[in-house]
Amino acid sequence: MAVLEVRDLRARYSASGPEILKGISFRVEADDFFAIIGPSGAGKSTLIRCINRLVEPSGGEILFYDREVTKLRGRQLRMLRRDMGMIFQEFNLIDRMSVMDNVLSGRLGYTSNLRSLFRAFPRDDIQHALSLLDRVGLLEHVDKRADKLSGGQRQRVGIARALMQNPKLLLVDEPTSALDPKISREVMALIKQMATELKVPCLCNIHDVQLAMEFCNKIIGLQDGNKMFDGPTKEMDQAMLDQIYDMEVL
Amino acid sequence: MNRDMEPRPATPSGTPQREWSRFKFPDSLIGYGIWLSILVFLAYTVEYLDIPLDRLLGMFGRLGTTLADRYYPPDINYIMDADYLEYVIETIQMAYLGALFGLLASIPLGWFGSYNMTPSRLFVYPIARFISMGCRAVHEMIWAILFVTIIGFGMLPGVLALMFFSTGFAAKLFAEEIEAIDMGQVDAMRASGANLFQIMIFGVFPQVRVAFTGIAIYTWDVAFRAATVVGFFGAGGMGWYLKRNILQIETERVAAILLSIIFLVLISEVISAWARARVMTMK
Amino acid sequence: MGDTLASPAPAVKPTVDDVIRSRRQNRYAKGAFFALLLIMVVWSIKVTVIEDTDWARIGSLGKVIEAANRFIGIDFSLFPSLIGPTIETLMIACLGTLLGVFLCIPAAWFGAHNITPYKPVTYPLARLMMTLSRSIHEIVWALFFVAAVGLGALAGVLALAVRSIGFIAKMSAEAIEDIDPGPVEAIRATGGSDFQVVIYGILPQVLPQVLSVIVFEWEINIRRSAILGLVGAGGLGLVFFRQMNTFNYHGVTSVIVAILMLILLGEVFSYFARKTVI
Repeated sequence: MAVLEVRDLRARYSASGPEILKGISFRVEADDFFAIIGPSGAGKSTLIRCINRLVEPSGGEILFYDREVTKLRGRQLRMLRRDMGMIFQEFNLIDRMSVMDNVLSGRLGYTSNLRSLFRAFPRDDIQHALSLLDRVGLLEHVDKRADKLSGGQRQRVGIARALMQNPKLLLVDEPTSALDPKISREVMALIKQMATELKVPCLCNIHDVQLAMEFCNKIIGLQDGNKMFDGPTKEMDQAMLDQIYDMEVL
Repeated sequence: MNRDMEPRPATPSGTPQREWSRFKFPDSLIGYGIWLSILVFLAYTVEYLDIPLDRLLGMFGRLGTTLADRYYPPDINYIMDADYLEYVIETIQMAYLGALFGLLASIPLGWFGSYNMTPSRLFVYPIARFISMGCRAVHEMIWAILFVTIIGFGMLPGVLALMFFSTGFAAKLFAEEIEAIDMGQVDAMRASGANLFQIMIFGVFPQVRVAFTGIAIYTWDVAFRAATVVGFFGAGGMGWYLKRNILQIETERVAAILLSIIFLVLISEVISAWARARVMTMK
Repeated sequence: MGDTLASPAPAVKPTVDDVIRSRRQNRYAKGAFFALLLIMVVWSIKVTVIEDTDWARIGSLGKVIEAANRFIGIDFSLFPSLIGPTIETLMIACLGTLLGVFLCIPAAWFGAHNITPYKPVTYPLARLMMTLSRSIHEIVWALFFVAAVGLGALAGVLALAVRSIGFIAKMSAEAIEDIDPGPVEAIRATGGSDFQVVIYGILPQVLPQVLSVIVFEWEINIRRSAILGLVGAGGLGLVFFRQMNTFNYHGVTSVIVAILMLILLGEVFSYFARKTVI
């Protein structure tokens, strides 16, 4: 059974606007670490955001554990999002809250309104958050405010927050483009390691081909909303890359 | 609006073939036309309102003599009275209750009236905008008169009037502040499966907390200024004192009361400026 | 060993109990703060609202609703006679704002600390003018001018003008303080006088901002001029007062509707005006 199956996905931002995704199909299996590569403006971010419906797709089907997600609404949509962790390019941490509160905010989908008003998370959640913070190496920064951390540390908080959801799929949107090369590699390694350990399949959208080839076992190449390539990393070659990045104006 | 007012660099000599004139055929004419019509409108307004311009010139002299003869010296003993001080305290309480309730009401109004976070853009958003505009458009004095007619004299109508006034004032500012937030944090909360309420608590509120506090202090400031006069029409506080003395032509007492109002407003302004400065550094 | 506790040593790893305890303490502190606030509010409510209100006069909630209901309904027959006062209100607002702008020129000039002529005297003077203008409510200003120049629109215009100084002058002075000094230096370098510096170096830089402040103040002045009639300074307020005194509550609603229409018009106009200015 595939974790995620996308069929003929289409998206546009306004009814009269250009189509950003022009019929994308692919499957993610349980042990996959998928990379989505392509020039900027190819629709990578839109594709990721369509899967947890931060962007509404305009056509096609998305099956998550054989469950159609494009028609979900309200509570069911929130349950779906709860099962998909997301890591963002700009980290999107709550700047004025502590690291602990940021990580705990990953549990919101499991928490009642009253508890979230007083930020009274259950003991198990706090225990879980502590162990995750230990794993990403931020245990001594628990009470620091998120905006006091460096870029790499903030992305680690973002990773811990996504894993806090006990996700069945990780959506990763350009995790490294706000970081310098050395930190980028560390962050990718951390995501890879945590995903393997927790057996979470990953869908990672990344503009750095080097990192994609190194960490991912499968690659989707997007160009201008069309899928150009879909297969194991070892089948990707220079000719294909040239073709995918053909339209990027340097 | 008036581009022709802006300075233009002088053309360097040596290019005599091109004529330059400040007057550009259609544009300048339109500009002059606008200015001319404004002037005509003003002249007509003075005519329509029947403003005696001759009296305007003599006004300053008369104002000076009136002030010197009748309003000076202010009757300071009158405002040092315990009764009056009680009214001052009432005014302060009225202002803070009105501002507080107004602020409480404007938090949901600001939320519902912000285009990016409103629960429904089709229904809730226009309704919230309409309510906040209505509260803002009606002057605090009119609110005071309406509430006095409905529930009688006292501080309750004053509090209600100030509440509606502060709601209108703060709701718009709150909504604008919410519209200016970073949506990335909101997206992160949506992605973790949070509902709308949780998104507000975690994704929006931490971002606007400081700005809201600043607005709240500002609202208090305006509400206090209004509270000094809502009593004029029977809604509690020192405004009633003012009215009584004006009706009795006790001009020296009126002067004293006005001085006390200016003094109190100055104190409140100094305190709130200090508080705002502190809040802003707390970012 | 003593100072490892004081400094945040990385070796000390927080346990779940630590975290839970500190979070709980945090929550209790916040709870206590809000409880205190709540007690204060309840106390003031008790003093101001419950003890001061004449509950016998109000009677039951039903009576209040009944009293409020009197205002529901519009007296359409009043509208023709509202046109004149509405125009008058608008004109008072326009003239008041314009006069206020003229009065502002010295206040803004003296009140901007980079161009004020003689700082120890003129700067505090301008600041005093601005504060005085803002701290006195328009009703009080109107009363004052009614006493000085008699009943009628002129008192309203003067009241609005004086009331407008504070805001326009403050914002303009701030805009002047924030200008780019480059053009000023350039004009000085060509040998321009102080007056020329103001006209060519400063005015073009601040004009859009000042114009938008003026339009904003004009919008507020419409709202204000609608009530000046309550103390005899002309406009819609006078009609409002008359309807109130003759207990024509539907007429009162009509006046309020007229005010709302006028303000809506002002808001639309100022929206487009500010768009073209900026």
